[in-house]
Amino acid sequence: MNLLSLSYLLFVPLVWVLSRIVRPGKGRQLLWLAASYFFYATWSLKFLCVLIVSSLVNYALGIYLRRNPSAGRLWVGIGFNVFLLGIFKYLPVWSAHLGPGHLPTFLENVILPVGVSFWTFEALSYLFDVYREEELDPSLTEFCLYLAFWPTVLSGPVCRLPELLPQFRNAEPVWDDIREGARRIILGLFMKTVLSQMLGAGMRPGEGVDFGFNQIARGWTGVDVWILALGFAFQMYFDFAGYSNIVIGTAQLFGIRLRENFRDPFLSTSPAEFWTRWHMSLSSWIRDYVFMPLATWRPAVWWRHASLVIAMMLFGFWHGADWTYIIWGALQGLFLVAHRQYQQLERRTNVRLPALVATYAGWAVTFCFMLLSWVVFRANDLAQARTMFGALVHFSSYKHFVLPRNFVLMTIVIAVLYFVVAGLRKLAENVKQVPFLSRLGWALSPVVYSFAMLSIVIMSIHKAVFVYLQF
Amino acid sequence: MTEAILSMSEAVKEMTDYIARELVRRPGVEITPETPLVSSGLIDSFALVEIFVKLEKLTNRRIPAAKIQPKDMETVGLMFATAERIGKPRQ
Repeated sequence: MNLLSLSYLLFVPLVWVLSRIVRPGKGRQLLWLAASYFFYATWSLKFLCVLIVSSLVNYALGIYLRRNPSAGRLWVGIGFNVFLLGIFKYLPVWSAHLGPGHLPTFLENVILPVGVSFWTFEALSYLFDVYREEELDPSLTEFCLYLAFWPTVLSGPVCRLPELLPQFRNAEPVWDDIREGARRIILGLFMKTVLSQMLGAGMRPGEGVDFGFNQIARGWTGVDVWILALGFAFQMYFDFAGYSNIVIGTAQLFGIRLRENFRDPFLSTSPAEFWTRWHMSLSSWIRDYVFMPLATWRPAVWWRHASLVIAMMLFGFWHGADWTYIIWGALQGLFLVAHRQYQQLERRTNVRLPALVATYAGWAVTFCFMLLSWVVFRANDLAQARTMFGALVHFSSYKHFVLPRNFVLMTIVIAVLYFVVAGLRKLAENVKQVPFLSRLGWALSPVVYSFAMLSIVIMSIHKAVFVYLQF
Repeated sequence: MTEAILSMSEAVKEMTDYIARELVRRPGVEITPETPLVSSGLIDSFALVEIFVKLEKLTNRRIPAAKIQPKDMETVGLMFATAERIGKPRQ
């Protein structure tokens, strides 16, 4: 059951109505668990078996760890979950690299259960929290619901049990939850089915980011690479932030508040700030459970820098076992280290740029670096990334471009509109105090939402798949 | 007793001064033992690590890093309480 399908549109209200009939507590938890398992089983019964086995084993590991929260027992839990990820996520990729015949056939043909990266990380965060002696006492039903909760099971956000457990026990939606939840779902659908789709597939055959990366035979010019970098960055953003809005909105209909996943990432003025605004649930997971323990293992400054690069490479590796993801992660780590060195230099020399110049220069450097690093992430292999970067440094390649003119224009317009909307949102926060403008905004809302829904319906004739499902 | 309290106060003061002087991303912000540091975005993950190392030095305790979460380091007050709770005196 896809989040963009008609069946999902019927599934959510049905579960919502049933939730109103069943009282909060164990009964409602069992209802939600049954609904979550049903939802996940529509993808594959085999996937559901893997999820249930993982839930039972991790719950048992939690009991085992709680009796004696030692590092050794924690490592048993980490080992199980890494093994699970290794078998389902990384073994097929390595098998493909090795070629047929190197592994037993049943291992070569393993299929990745959808969402395994996300709910495995949730299981790991639970074990870490038990090790840290957090006061957590989920029942088996609550723990299974935590991993299988249907809004988040496919692609996150990566949630933490201490945040969800009280809500699973007591959440009741109020009218504001339903209004805000519906708003976010519509916004998410618009971001995904309209904006991300337009960028990814273009408006006509022979256009789009996917075409630009996969099918350009004549090679790229510098302009093409910048446009594809811009297009892919915003495609990813609208796709995944759109998905996050749908999921967070759905959960809010039930009175459940999930972690935010995005917060205007392209307004960041430094790499450190970017990673507090992009895929926030996963970046905070990496910070809390990988970077902090690793970096504090040794007091040396060089080790802190190395830990940052290692943590970001792991972030890249989480996406997949390809060198493009790992190099992308390493680049992020190195950029963070470079930023840190720049901050230290400012303090030591007491030389600082004027605040406005520092802000805009920081934004420009961060934005451009992130765009170019997405080229590595999206490239089909490192050779393609090298070729594309080669085009960037040849100034003669900026005299023309290969991509369709319409697509180039559309990409630039969408990117500019993103910043215009961000600015208007900031303005709107200030004008809420002005009654006339506040009423005007209220009056325009139905127009805006109607436009969004019409666009969603029109663009939905194209088959849309969430990019992050592949991770 | 009085000497121990003064030592803790001095340690807290040294930590708040260190954070304000070396780590805060917005210069000129006043740091108190109750100022939220992580959730407010005043410090980033790298700075958290540097604070952790400083905390071990000031408290003369070995703190198991894997037992720490960023929320334990949200304020200077919480940091020292965490060090007291889970840290072991250095030999």
